[in-house]
Amino acid sequence: MLLLIVAAPVLLAIITLIKPHRVINDSALLVGAGIIALFSIGIWCGIFSPAGPRWLDNYFRLDAIGLLFLLIMAVVFLSAAIYSVYYHREQKTSPRRHSFYAASMLLFVAAMIGVILSNHLALLWVFIEATTLTSAVLINFEQKKSALEAAWKYIFICSVGIALAFVGIIILSMGAKSIGSLFFHDLYAGASQINPFWLKMSFAFILVGFGTKIGVAPIHAWLPDAHSEAPSPVSALLSGTLLNTAFLGLIRVQEILIQANLSSFSNSLIRFIGFLSLFISAVFMTNSKNYKRMLAYSSIENMGILFIGLTMGKTGLFAAMLHTGAHSFAKSALFLTSGNILHLTRSKEIAQVRGLLRREPLTGWLWIVAILVIAGLPPFPTFLSKFLLIKAFFESGMGWLVVPFFLFVLIVIFGMMRAAVSMVFADPDSHSHPTSPRLSFLAYLPQILLLVFLLSFGAAIPDKLVQLLSEAAKFLQ
Amino acid sequence: MTDILIILFGTLMLYVFAASRIEAFIKTLSLQGLILFFLVVTDIRDMNWINSAFLVLETLVVKAIAIPWFLLRTIRRNEIGREVEPYISQFYSLMIASAIFIFAFVAAFWAARVEGDIKPLYFGVSISMIIASLFLIVTRKRIITHILCFMMLENGIFLLSLSVANEMPMLVNLGVLLDLFVAVFLLVIFFNKIQSLYDGSHIDVLTQLKD
Repeated sequence: MLLLIVAAPVLLAIITLIKPHRVINDSALLVGAGIIALFSIGIWCGIFSPAGPRWLDNYFRLDAIGLLFLLIMAVVFLSAAIYSVYYHREQKTSPRRHSFYAASMLLFVAAMIGVILSNHLALLWVFIEATTLTSAVLINFEQKKSALEAAWKYIFICSVGIALAFVGIIILSMGAKSIGSLFFHDLYAGASQINPFWLKMSFAFILVGFGTKIGVAPIHAWLPDAHSEAPSPVSALLSGTLLNTAFLGLIRVQEILIQANLSSFSNSLIRFIGFLSLFISAVFMTNSKNYKRMLAYSSIENMGILFIGLTMGKTGLFAAMLHTGAHSFAKSALFLTSGNILHLTRSKEIAQVRGLLRREPLTGWLWIVAILVIAGLPPFPTFLSKFLLIKAFFESGMGWLVVPFFLFVLIVIFGMMRAAVSMVFADPDSHSHPTSPRLSFLAYLPQILLLVFLLSFGAAIPDKLVQLLSEAAKFLQ
Repeated sequence: MTDILIILFGTLMLYVFAASRIEAFIKTLSLQGLILFFLVVTDIRDMNWINSAFLVLETLVVKAIAIPWFLLRTIRRNEIGREVEPYISQFYSLMIASAIFIFAFVAAFWAARVEGDIKPLYFGVSISMIIASLFLIVTRKRIITHILCFMMLENGIFLLSLSVANEMPMLVNLGVLLDLFVAVFLLVIFFNKIQSLYDGSHIDVLTQLKD
């Protein structure tokens, strides 16, 4: 089954490249997303076995935390695939470019699946770099000057960052000579034999490298540009899945340090970067003039929250796992809705978008509800995750951290709400945009699905999900 | 023999700092690839044949021939002016390069004393190469030089990985090479697009996106 999940997107990508046809492209994306969703849910429910073929078993494995990230990715990819159908109709993309888009997206997803399943540190690195390469062409898909600039910054900054992570991996293998392998299970088992000096140094490099991909401050420079210039379904995938998968890579490395009893060193670094990200996003959020960039800064903030959760013991990690899913769903819904807004107003400026509720009520409602989710209002899982995180602060004896945490999060929420309220509720200036065309139902369907998921999980989290989350959180011991 | 090769490798880096022509830079990259090839060959007894064949292919074919040829073709096609155009003068560049060398070697010898089983020369040259490429990226105006510096960074990392006797599995080696190749290919494609969309190939033209 594992082999199928990895191979299906690659095969579909080849098919779209061989036969560039609108229907084939659309269905390749939908079928690919469907296969991944079906099989990851099947594995979750125990219908399929998570084991791969024997010869791949060392390289690719699916554990509980991987399954959680795979499920999140499946849902986000499915919604991006549905929205892409609408996007290409609206943009009237030529079949050839459309097939290029579909193939790149499928390969991008395949690379992310590779990251999730990798059981070898250097192989994980290979797949993270592959996600950079496949998504860079997607960011430049609209081929405008600004998109080209964003794609260049993205591919260059991330490639250099990831190269530094490779330096970290080499340093780690210097320190782990007695183990003689970079398979995660060997590294975990022999963590106490790794020379602590080299391990610490390699962690610093890997943190910078993977941190660049995760998009945490101060190495986030590419993120607002790339997220704002990419086509909306691509932005949704970038924010909802790419950042997560790189974060999973960091979690796997962090486990080595925990096994080697060096977690106090890594925790202090990760926590510092987490709070720095909160601070940076709070500063930039309040004066952001472009709503897609605003969402991108919110992604930096949420990655900061995940970083902080990672350092706060079991409860913190449980909160981080819950938050990962909730953030991915909500942020994807927001980015897809931003595609609607962009279609209606032809502008990414917050000041140019007014009175969405009157002009296009459904888009307006989707926007405001999704903003409330990301802000962490009570019925939604984001509230629960932030609440649990604060509980984790007190449990780990660092209750005073609540003060800066609250302060930064409040500033971010204030910035987002201020922009959202003016976009949704203010009176539209009727002369500039007289009428709004009605959008196809495909432009609403994925967001509605994502928000329904969030609402139902927030109202009553199913036991099976809690079980998966706590199993995932057990990964770090 | 190995030591002489590594010293030559390091000297080439100093030459890059002093060189003012882009073509010279690319030829240096190719020479570095060749030196890496010789380093692999002198070291070949300890490896199994698949790995050594692969490393020979990677250094000789990809690093010494294919990528430099591809880059050279790009600059000739685009008729880019020949100067690298640094932000700071050649003299200060060289001073800083020396400082990087000193720092890297102090760090390498110190690490060798703490650790014992690392080779200070390998370690010092590769670390200084990595730091120096990052420094060059920051101080050069032309976008094409950024790609060249990225290649130099990769060469430094390759040297560092050679100093680890520990072999990576074949699958990983293949993946790393494929990533590198596609990365350079894409960077050049994007570079060509920037050339055609903007007038001028300075990094300063890319300042449209900001808050």
